[in-house]
Amino acid sequence: MSQAPAVESGPAPAPATDAHPDDVLVLDGVRIHDDLSDTELVHGVSLRLRRGGVVGIVGESGSGKSLTCRAVLGILPDLIEVSGGSITLLGRDTATLTRRDWTALRGASIGAVFQDPASYLNPSITVGRQLQEVLRVRGGLSREDAHRRAVELFDAVHLREPEQVYRQYVHELSGGMLQRVLIAIAISLDPEILIADEATTALDATVQAEILDLLAELTERLGLALVLVSHDLAVVAQLCDEVLVLRDGHVVEQGPTGRILHDPQEEYTRLLVAEHEQYGLERYLTPEPSHV
Amino acid sequence: MIKVLLRLTSARIAIGALLAIALITVFGPVLAPYDPLQGSDLTLAGPSAQHWLGTDYTGRDVLSRILAGAPLSILSTLEVTGIALVLGTVPGILSVYLGSVFEWVSLRLIDTLVALPFLVFAVAMTALLGNGITQAMIAVGLLVAPLFYRVARAATLTVARSQYVEAAVLAGASTGWIVRRHVWAKVLPPIAITLATTLGVGLVVISSLTFLGIGVQPPAPTWGGILASDLDYLPQKAYAPIFPAVIILVTVLAFNMLADAIRDAAGQSGRALVGAKAARANRARRVAA
Amino acid sequence: MATLTGPDLRRIRTRRLAVSVGKPLAVFVPVFLLGTFFTFLLGHLSGRSPAYIQLGDAATPEAVAAVEHEWGLDRPFLVQYVDWLGDILRFDLGESWFNGHSVAAVLLDRAVITLSAAGVALVIGVVAGFALGALAARFHATWVDRAVTGFTTTISVLPPFVVGIALVAVFAVSLDLLPAAGYVPLEAGLGPWLSHLILPALALSFDTVADVARQLRDGLVSARRENYVTGAVVRGLDPRRIFFVHVLRNGVGPALAVLGLKFPALLGGAVVTEAIFGLSGYGVFATQAAIRGDVPAVQGVLVVSVVLVVVFNLVVNIVLNRLSPAAARGV
Repeated sequence: MSQAPAVESGPAPAPATDAHPDDVLVLDGVRIHDDLSDTELVHGVSLRLRRGGVVGIVGESGSGKSLTCRAVLGILPDLIEVSGGSITLLGRDTATLTRRDWTALRGASIGAVFQDPASYLNPSITVGRQLQEVLRVRGGLSREDAHRRAVELFDAVHLREPEQVYRQYVHELSGGMLQRVLIAIAISLDPEILIADEATTALDATVQAEILDLLAELTERLGLALVLVSHDLAVVAQLCDEVLVLRDGHVVEQGPTGRILHDPQEEYTRLLVAEHEQYGLERYLTPEPSHV
Repeated sequence: MIKVLLRLTSARIAIGALLAIALITVFGPVLAPYDPLQGSDLTLAGPSAQHWLGTDYTGRDVLSRILAGAPLSILSTLEVTGIALVLGTVPGILSVYLGSVFEWVSLRLIDTLVALPFLVFAVAMTALLGNGITQAMIAVGLLVAPLFYRVARAATLTVARSQYVEAAVLAGASTGWIVRRHVWAKVLPPIAITLATTLGVGLVVISSLTFLGIGVQPPAPTWGGILASDLDYLPQKAYAPIFPAVIILVTVLAFNMLADAIRDAAGQSGRALVGAKAARANRARRVAA
Repeated sequence: MATLTGPDLRRIRTRRLAVSVGKPLAVFVPVFLLGTFFTFLLGHLSGRSPAYIQLGDAATPEAVAAVEHEWGLDRPFLVQYVDWLGDILRFDLGESWFNGHSVAAVLLDRAVITLSAAGVALVIGVVAGFALGALAARFHATWVDRAVTGFTTTISVLPPFVVGIALVAVFAVSLDLLPAAGYVPLEAGLGPWLSHLILPALALSFDTVADVARQLRDGLVSARRENYVTGAVVRGLDPRRIFFVHVLRNGVGPALAVLGLKFPALLGGAVVTEAIFGLSGYGVFATQAAIRGDVPAVQGVLVVSVVLVVVFNLVVNIVLNRLSPAAARGV
């Protein structure tokens, strides 16, 4: 049963021509189409992210949130393309980007971390060498400088014994540590945007909280704009200024976090909030009288 | 899966060729125009109306020898493959269920067999144990068995440790149903692929052995033996090896094409190959609209 | 996860090294023992005896018994086996029943010839196989991929002896470009040495080329689908670097493993190619000895084969473990 198209409450996303100088990422009516099954998977997502802002995308599996992230990164799978709308990354329309442009943008302007951190690292090379590689190849540092900077970064993401972790292989580290490694790599070139696609989903509850705290700290300290994607409303509620609720590729509801949580307009959103209250969402809600 | 298989052109070509070879095997000696053992004065003649493929160094008709040689070569191959199938598959499947001692011992045995250079051991075993074709087949079957062992073991491991089997057992499904539904589907395709590949390998090995004169009593015709005698008379008749070589090659190629076709039909790459074309058409339509 | 200090890390590293060398060894020692046992058993089962070879028509039962006693063949099976194994470990492969010569000495000369041909075949297999496999993986699912796969499938089914005969017929007899037979040692010059070996090596190599190409292609294609490639992409690494440093390193495993499997086939194939190309290598020696019923000679050949294969596989496995430590954790 497909939902009605997005009902926008709160300030409607302005068209791309009304660009604000502080916009790091603008999606305008983005549609994504699968050529293999000849179906549209994402039906018009719009959002506007400012420097230092945090936007959350919530939805179940198959809602299109990961595809949207991949479109922003330019890594959609084969035979799946952006079929409508536009993505403006740091003022540039991604449709005009060549492969070389994309390579230059990734890492330096936009970084990403995903679910299952272990699988996103090369199993045959120590994790430190992989961070050093980025710093050497993209950052232009010498081997020793890159090594030193890598250890600094590991320390910045609160890895204990960063020098030892540097020399470990993937299979010798826990999920939480690996995610910190990946975050360190993602921010190593000082990007403006960080995408965290289900970054905490595969981790233990306590580790989840630690990672979210880390992301919050980095956002504040580095002025990083964050796109936080999750199926878990609680994760999103903790950090985000604005929330998009996705279902079957449609934006069901979109707006400031406070309003979405306290005054959801759509049935589906109400369902999500109600579900979470059972599991203690109240800690994230400001002490306002709410009747949900 | 057989339906998918038959839709692939490569499978159809392979099966067609194999049916032709089967016919030759069964009817070959009867179809041969001349007595394959009968020499004549017309030695090393080229192809002509009376001798379609010419004659060999003792004046025997080449076509007749090739047709007569079919049963020995093909049937030996079938027997070798059968021996390998039994000797390999049964321990392979059992190695998953009979405990770690059996598993370790059988794994080391298989490693050893794999390490033994094929032909050297086949030659040694055949010649030392009495120069008969039966010894050759047992020897080769033993040496080829590891292929079946590994495939059967890998497939059984996947099924035995899979969660859907566990789920089915928990849901109360009978063993028979589980075997039919899950085990067959997972174990049969790899075994079928290995079977087809082994038939090809077996024919090559049998031909090599008969080429060396091992395991066959001359002057009985074998495809390998014909090649060997052609080699001796190469300066006089350089194109002679083509005829036995072609029939060996066609048969081996057909076996391998069949193996590849089964692999494609059972796996995903077939679907991907079919899908990519359709996807391109969809995209073209969408962009044009 | 406990924190690691310096000495702990050093201990971990030495353990890692020991595992990557020790594990292959632990597998191959039993293989060597089983292989030699099998070889000895084979000789024993053959029921052959030096008596008939040496005595010929004068083989009365007493004479036979005397000869067999001389050779120590009337002792219990296990005693003979242990004795033989001890000799093997001291590089003594016994004496030929046929002419009494030391088997080890004869095999040494011949092994050089066989290994030269197998070596060149291996080099061809690796170079051509890698080139074709990388090409097919680079242009995955296009006509290039399909063409390369078709080509490799075709050449993989060509038996070495058929290819060998074809090569002789074309290059040696008809075109007279290369010698048809014989061997020239390396000391006589690289050119002559290679010209005698290139045809047999080529005939031997097809199977290896095809398998290496196929394994490399499959390995690279599946490595490219892995998440760590996505990880490398979003870090802004360029495609060339991703291929050579990340994909290749993890994708090359199956191709290297298959080399280890192909080596026995190369040694075995030598048996026929030496017959075709008139190389007096140990393959031909094996055939002759087997037909003559010269058991120690045959056993010597088999043991040498086993040792060669075991050593080669050991080297391949160690290289694999150093390249991809993750693989060392698995089966």
